[in-house]
Amino acid sequence: MKLSTYNFLTSMAIKGVKVGFPLKLTINKKDVVESEFNPTFVERILPKLDWSAVYGAAQVAELTEDIPAVQPENIGENEVLLQKLHHLLFEIDVLEGQLECPETGRVFPITDGIPNMLLNEDEV
Amino acid sequence: MHVEEKQQKVNKAKKADKKQRRCLAIIKSDCHVTPSNDPTTYLAILNVGLSNGLTEENLLQAAAKSGGKVTEVVMLPGKSYCFLVCASMEDSELIYLAMHNVSTIGQLGAVAYLSYVKELPALAGKSEWNRPLPSGLLVISDFVSGEEEATLLKAIAEDGKTSEGTGTLKHRHVKHFGYEFLYGSNNVDPSKPLELAIPFACDILWPRLENSATAWDWSTPDQLTVNEYEPGHGIPPHVDTHSAFLDPILSLSLQSDVVMDFRRGEEQVQVRLPRRSLLIMSGEARFDWTHGIRPKHIDVVPSASGGLTTQARGKRTSLTFRRLRRGPCDCAYPTLCDTRQTKTPQELTVSLAAQAVSLELQNVHEVYDKIADHFSETRHSPWPQVAGFLDSFDPQSVVLDVGCGNGKYLGCNPRLLAIGCDRAQGLLAVGRRKGQNVFRCDCLSVPVRSSSIDGCISIAVIHHLATGERRLAAIQEMARVLRPGGRALIYVWAKDQRKNDKKSAYLRQNKAVNKERTTEQEQRQKQHKELDELPNNTPLPVHTNRTEFQQQDVLVPWKTKDEQRTTYLRYYHVFEEQELENLVAQLPEVKLVKSYYDQGNHCVIFEKISKNCS
Repeated sequence: MKLSTYNFLTSMAIKGVKVGFPLKLTINKKDVVESEFNPTFVERILPKLDWSAVYGAAQVAELTEDIPAVQPENIGENEVLLQKLHHLLFEIDVLEGQLECPETGRVFPITDGIPNMLLNEDEV
Repeated sequence: MHVEEKQQKVNKAKKADKKQRRCLAIIKSDCHVTPSNDPTTYLAILNVGLSNGLTEENLLQAAAKSGGKVTEVVMLPGKSYCFLVCASMEDSELIYLAMHNVSTIGQLGAVAYLSYVKELPALAGKSEWNRPLPSGLLVISDFVSGEEEATLLKAIAEDGKTSEGTGTLKHRHVKHFGYEFLYGSNNVDPSKPLELAIPFACDILWPRLENSATAWDWSTPDQLTVNEYEPGHGIPPHVDTHSAFLDPILSLSLQSDVVMDFRRGEEQVQVRLPRRSLLIMSGEARFDWTHGIRPKHIDVVPSASGGLTTQARGKRTSLTFRRLRRGPCDCAYPTLCDTRQTKTPQELTVSLAAQAVSLELQNVHEVYDKIADHFSETRHSPWPQVAGFLDSFDPQSVVLDVGCGNGKYLGCNPRLLAIGCDRAQGLLAVGRRKGQNVFRCDCLSVPVRSSSIDGCISIAVIHHLATGERRLAAIQEMARVLRPGGRALIYVWAKDQRKNDKKSAYLRQNKAVNKERTTEQEQRQKQHKELDELPNNTPLPVHTNRTEFQQQDVLVPWKTKDEQRTTYLRYYHVFEEQELENLVAQLPEVKLVKSYYDQGNHCVIFEKISKNCS
């Protein structure tokens, strides 16, 4: 699972959960898959992402020095930061780990790079 | 010169002997038939048979030139030899002398080699002529006189509704009176009678049937279909739609004799329909047997003296008289019965609602998990209009594929951030191996932030949900994750696999039906027997692949490609026209942008209404 995908996932479908976001991420095993850096792509995708989850992912991936807690303005002019965001969002690949619902503690395992978000019938 | 000719003759005879010995050895090891040096009544044609293009009628015509009489022809499927049973030893000798090393009935005019044999192969079945007729079948000879034949032909020549389905009826001319028989649905529309009723000239027929008609569902017909067959034309095996017509069906043969084949599973009976005879199909013959005419120029028929002979076909006109049923069929023969194959919609909806979750689990999720790899192999090329939809987004858009399967659409447009989800772990693993972004979930609870996605696609997914509420809920989930102004594309399988009389790719792949070697009905009949043992604890009928859908809620077989050839049954709800649009119309937060039909699928594009507009 790339951390760009992580940015969209929520546990709000669980009965009684209000926001379910961001999910608490644990990485047990990860890989880095190099991909071509396209600054425009990163810049334009950012408004669609939730910065708190971008920052949260950076913390778990131990890249906090690279990513500020608050989204800086005029990020398009900061190619160094865009490069770091590219690495965080599109190159780090979580192979094993888990996502945890912030409200109920329900754990969704990540196995072989695929998060299992499937809920039981009685949970929805 | 004289000597040379003599030498050639000797060589030819030597070659024939050699060939004869070699063929006999093959036949002996193949079906344990022993050759005989002395004449017998059994003749083997050693080097020509069904596998190299010999027809029964060509063989009989060749044999008839000798003056010898044949009582039976034994042609074995896939074999390059065949057998004749002759009326007597003398007939047999006549044929042998006239044909062996002389008759050029082989492929490209090759000469035939014959031999006497001591017996027939054990597997040779009984002649199709000597079997009992299907119960309920009756042929009344000379039902009309020559004069009446002329009157009837004149009456029907003048008017009648010509069938427009030229695509389906490339081999014959058809006209209708009373009601039009619609070949697309194999049914009639009782609400649309034709201006022209059955011609009055036909009224001479009904008093002649008064006695029999007391046992029938009707005494006078209200629908007449006229078929004109030129020699070489035929009609594929079929049963007249049960719910369309009452029992029995009558068919009057005019202008020429023909042979009709009746089939029920493996059983097959040939019936001669003489010129001016009436065929009555009732009960079992009407409901449980298919009937058809092979597209041939010459028929093989029993001769007056008990043998077999050939008969050239002339132009033949058949008048098929039927009476509309106007309701469900109540016959006792379920296999070919369209009524029995369909549950009443209400009854079914209730039972589907009660078991929707377990049905989807058993007949969708568990099946896809089992067939994932094979299924994935068959799903590689993206449908052009789906790829076109994905190309319509600005670069850097976020697109979610709900029910992404093996992820074949996720890589379509590399300028997008494409994410896919599915329930089937096996299919997700395939997508993941290709480097796609995927996660596992159910399409009824998509674990994605609301209003976060620019585009959504869901291709061939929500037809796997068992109730209207669940199908609507799945669309609602897509609407929820879309940002205002975001667009979604949905594809579902259509019940109607034809548009403007054109078959979908799904139907076009049914080569046997398209080449008129068989019919959908016959395939259904065959499959019915095959799938009888399969566990099916659902109230649903099993659909026959590559045929038109008989009802909306069905189980579609998937046969694996491995040695076991296991058949799994997948649940589908195939959509009627407008059904998908009606679901979308129930969601106030979206507006329909476009709906269309694409290769057997109903498709919609909808847009989430911008906040400012709502």
